[in-house]
Amino acid sequence: MESAVNNGCCPEHGAPGGSNCRAVGPHKVPGDSPLAWFAGMVGHCKAHALAARAAGRPIVGIMCEYAPRELIFAAGAVPVCLCGGDPDTIPSAEAHLPTNLCSLIKSTYGYLVEKANPFLEMADLVVAETTCDGKKKMFELMAEARATYVLALPHREDDPDGLRSWVEELRRFKVFLENRYGVAITPERLREAIELMNRERRLRRELAELMKMEDPPLTGRQLLDFKSIISGLPDDLDQYERALALWRPRERSGSATHDARGQSPECATARQQPVRVLLTGVPLVHGAERVIEIIEANGGLVVCQENCTGLKPILEDVRADAPDLIRALGEKYYHLSCSVRTPNRKRLALLAQLATEYRAECVIELIWHACLTYAIESFHVRRLVENELGLPYLKIETDYSPADSARIATRVAALVETVRARTAAQHKWLSGVG
Amino acid sequence: MIFAGIDAGSRSIKVVLYDAATRKVVGRGIAEQGVDQARLAEALFDQTLEASGLGRSQVARTVATGYGRGSVRFAQSTVTEITCHARGVWQTSPNARTIIEIGGQDSKVIWIEPDGRVRDFAMNDRCAAGTGRFLEMVAARLGVDLCKLGEMSRASARPAVISSTCVVFAETEIIGLLASGAAVADIAAGVQKAIASRVSTMAMRAVVPPVYFTGGVALQAGMCRALQHALGAEVRVVPDPQFTGALGAALVAADQAD
Ligand code: SF4
Ligand code: SF4
Repeated sequence: MESAVNNGCCPEHGAPGGSNCRAVGPHKVPGDSPLAWFAGMVGHCKAHALAARAAGRPIVGIMCEYAPRELIFAAGAVPVCLCGGDPDTIPSAEAHLPTNLCSLIKSTYGYLVEKANPFLEMADLVVAETTCDGKKKMFELMAEARATYVLALPHREDDPDGLRSWVEELRRFKVFLENRYGVAITPERLREAIELMNRERRLRRELAELMKMEDPPLTGRQLLDFKSIISGLPDDLDQYERALALWRPRERSGSATHDARGQSPECATARQQPVRVLLTGVPLVHGAERVIEIIEANGGLVVCQENCTGLKPILEDVRADAPDLIRALGEKYYHLSCSVRTPNRKRLALLAQLATEYRAECVIELIWHACLTYAIESFHVRRLVENELGLPYLKIETDYSPADSARIATRVAALVETVRARTAAQHKWLSGVG
Repeated sequence: MIFAGIDAGSRSIKVVLYDAATRKVVGRGIAEQGVDQARLAEALFDQTLEASGLGRSQVARTVATGYGRGSVRFAQSTVTEITCHARGVWQTSPNARTIIEIGGQDSKVIWIEPDGRVRDFAMNDRCAAGTGRFLEMVAARLGVDLCKLGEMSRASARPAVISSTCVVFAETEIIGLLASGAAVADIAAGVQKAIASRVSTMAMRAVVPPVYFTGGVALQAGMCRALQHALGAEVRVVPDPQFTGALGAALVAADQAD
């Protein structure tokens, strides 16, 4: 129902300034910056996948952070994330799937219909997890065109039987991969893969931690680009190291060189200190970054992303020295606090911890339309944020189409105004008592 | 010192000129929104100034708000409708704790602190079924004037049930009602009831009294009563509800200059 009038705001990001809006993500950066490297992420991954396939290594598609990349690596294959972030592939998906389904699922499936995702075209196998119903049933349709392997994820949190069955599920997956690809997944190979993934997780975690600073060196949008749909690429790991060397605070001085965020479009137009935002909810996969751009074009700075494209899957490592590596893998992944689990208390505890560590001034939750698990769980999140953390909470329910950008921008801008007024009132009160 | 507030809404533009020294509104203007928003806002601003015997040089600061706030080039800053409505209502009704605002294209519930700050707010997402747009559609469908629609609703003893949550489907529903011989008054009242119930859903957690009603739709006879029913609380209409956003913007301009 949104009218298409030009309201003087950027149609994509709702930032005042209309077509002059410069909130276009972290694209204008010096060519040698680590940011510039990740701007070419899809190209690098494509080159890597083609070379791997030519060398006889199979491509295995994954669509969820519960998929243990380590096992796939140890089988000599290359795991690639297939999650779709493009609204344009959705209409083709709707030929088979209901309209009222989450954009992420439809976009991914639309790529299959249109044969438009080179990685899915190359994939020999797709790992299908039993997470949300939408994905689970979509995989059944995908199975008509691709070999899929279903990993049954137990949904109960903190359940010893659930963990046991998940570990057994991973053992079966290991055997399946060994048979399919004629390899033996030895403890050595698995340990090597675990160490690689641990290293990547550690580097990405340290980068994310730069956002704890009073004046972070990056925007949340820039940080979001520091990852690849193929994990563990040696060049990527080098670039993570470079980024850390560039932006990690100098010894004791506590402040970083501000070049990256300073050059970001949002920062250049901002007149005031941004409001620190903790972003939670659904993942923002490659191509679906609109909401974080809107937040940062309207006075927010996303200092922490508690979601599957942010910190959640990289917070815990796998114990590489464990006697039973499959069990160690199972434990790490079993702990991931996705809304498909019940109850999902770990996520609430994590949110409380991150809000404190990153000194969030408000929490924004993003939910893709028709994502029932996150939508329902938002009840608990709101209650935690408002009543226990005492912070303002904003829920944004949207999909991949930009029709509601102006409205989201207004809601974010109002939240930012509310936080600023609140801070000003607190200062006044404090100086009154002091 | 004069401060100006421009509310560039989706259906109309409003200007309020506020004199901070006398704490009085010294000028007001309203015009239909159109394609060339930037020019329309500027023309209305100049007209309002002229009618009040003022010149641009006397205006210390201008704040723009509303859906088209980004197109008001001559404003020094932009502030959202949510903050402006809260500020505007707080000025005229400082005891307000909850504000219901229904405008041309959206509706909002705003909870405010005793000191006038916004505590929380809710806003309709993509759908227009809780907004003035809905009323416009119905008026056009029934072939009556928008302002007559509210009056007609008074004659209704049994408001029609309109359950669609989408304006497009609601239109189909209304065509069906007309075909089955439902009274126009009942349809008019039914639409108000549907809008009120959308707003009360949005206000999910109970509203905190006193509740004030603002925005252009507050001028519709019967709408306030429909809201009272849906919310189960007394609802008061603020004075000149269509100007609250612009008044709030002018007051924010004065606050910013402090
Ligand atoms: S949000 Fe849940 S289903 Fe989605 S990737 Fe993360 S763990 Fe998987
Ligand atoms: S966003 Fe929600 S509905 Fe969509 S794939 Fe993830 S869990 Fe499923």
